[in-house]
Amino acid sequence: MRLENVWLRYHRRGPWVLRGIDVRIGPGEAAIVLGRNGVGKSTLLQVAAGVLRPGRGRVTDRPARVGWVPERFPADQPFTVTRYLTGMARVAGLGRTAADEAVTSWTDRLGLSAFRSVRLPELSKGTAQKVGLAQAMLRPPGLLVLDEPWEGLDAATRELVPELIAEVLAADGSVLVSDHRGETVRLPGARRWLVADGALSEQTSSTDETFAVVEVAVPAARVAGTVARLRAEGHQVLRVRSDASTAAPQARPVEPFREARAARPAEASREADAARPAEPPLGMAGELAAEQPEAADAVVEPAAGESR
Amino acid sequence: MSALVRMRLAGFLRTGRAVAPLLAGLITLGTLYGGGRAQPAEAYGVSAVVLFPVLAWQTKILLDVEPDVQRRLAQVTVGVARERLAGLLAAAVAALVTVAVALLFPWLVGGVSGPVDPGDRSIPVGLALGLWAHLLVVPAAVALGALASRASVGGAGYGVAVLALGGVGAVVLGLTGSVAPWLAPPIMAAARTTGGDAAALTLLGLSGWALAWSAAVVGGYLWRRRAQG
Repeated sequence: MRLENVWLRYHRRGPWVLRGIDVRIGPGEAAIVLGRNGVGKSTLLQVAAGVLRPGRGRVTDRPARVGWVPERFPADQPFTVTRYLTGMARVAGLGRTAADEAVTSWTDRLGLSAFRSVRLPELSKGTAQKVGLAQAMLRPPGLLVLDEPWEGLDAATRELVPELIAEVLAADGSVLVSDHRGETVRLPGARRWLVADGALSEQTSSTDETFAVVEVAVPAARVAGTVARLRAEGHQVLRVRSDASTAAPQARPVEPFREARAARPAEASREADAARPAEPPLGMAGELAAEQPEAADAVVEPAAGESR
Repeated sequence: MSALVRMRLAGFLRTGRAVAPLLAGLITLGTLYGGGRAQPAEAYGVSAVVLFPVLAWQTKILLDVEPDVQRRLAQVTVGVARERLAGLLAAAVAALVTVAVALLFPWLVGGVSGPVDPGDRSIPVGLALGLWAHLLVVPAAVALGALASRASVGGAGYGVAVLALGGVGAVVLGLTGSVAPWLAPPIMAAARTTGGDAAALTLLGLSGWALAWSAAVVGGYLWRRRAQG
């Protein structure tokens, strides 16, 4: 699928949200869409999914079957989980028997079995999000578009999302996923698209990519915002600690580690989870893995010192 | 696509929002037929006129019941054209049910009579003309309701304005001597025809007029949906 010079704005005289996006994703490829809040990540995903039509440019070679998981599942509907998913399966073209089988399979897999008879408005946010995930997978999609799929999910289901993505990729499908929580460390092989000022740039990623750890000390009151900003810029925040000495450590020679996160995605994600407290105590310092060129004038810890 | 039509009708019925336009229709028909008995063709002609805004409102409610994100999910699943068409078909099915109630209603309350004078139309002919008048109204009302829906106009206020303008305009511009009758669907002209001379050519012309008007308004609806994204 290819987005060719895609421009989009929501109103005729409104500002352009996307400006000349030109990008291609092939079968078996996944891309993580990164960027700050409000830069157009969801808009880009909706253009890719076929929800939004570009004001200029076009989308070509979009797979026939698209699964879209919106950021917020529309739970204000008068259906039970089973009735909704069965209806969506039939809408997707499955026959009655196949629809029932698909619904049973996905409700079991996503831990929705106990909620089959529950009406959608009565579901918790996380459970409703699982229904959103299920409806996108009822027919194996050629393109799976996930808008913040980890939002509100329990730990077990968060672990399941990369599995689903891997299955789509294994079937030669493509996957686009946005994330601002750092969960995409679970997708080490994915391309990384950074959206900023309406433009898209691809962050190079290869098996030879080297990383360094930059220790940053920030006032406690600014920790949450700094962590969010760093993640939005594509950095991996490995942890936040409260025992930081504010004395500037000595810069040491860079000893980059190679794909440390890729080799330990689960560990890295636990670190990322640990880095998520809303209001950490005073004197906090964080570590982020950065590509080596970006760390040139920063305080850098060698690999041995960061891989906790 | 039929699955999406069924799903939307189910959503419309299960929310209970189908009750309001149905009640409005029954009250209107009750008022209409409460004043005395009339022959079927004449009574049905007027019934079709008063049902026009009710059916348009019903269409708007049916389309507005579905959350915006769910509508987009349906669009991703079946494609743009089928998603639009499924909404219009669901509204048409709901309108036909209301029309069936409207056709049955006067017989239940004794609001219609058989031919009185030798020149009066027979009951089957009156029924056929009445059915034609109501079927003429359905596409026009569905088109107006779709144009007034949230997916088309965005804010609720604009939707109500479109409905009010369309409903009043259909009556005012349809009056005898109107300067621009073609701007409205021919529901008033159809009512006059069922009560008077119903030549085949007239029926054909009015049918074509109604379909053309409906097609133009549906075109406006699709254009608005395209603009809304």
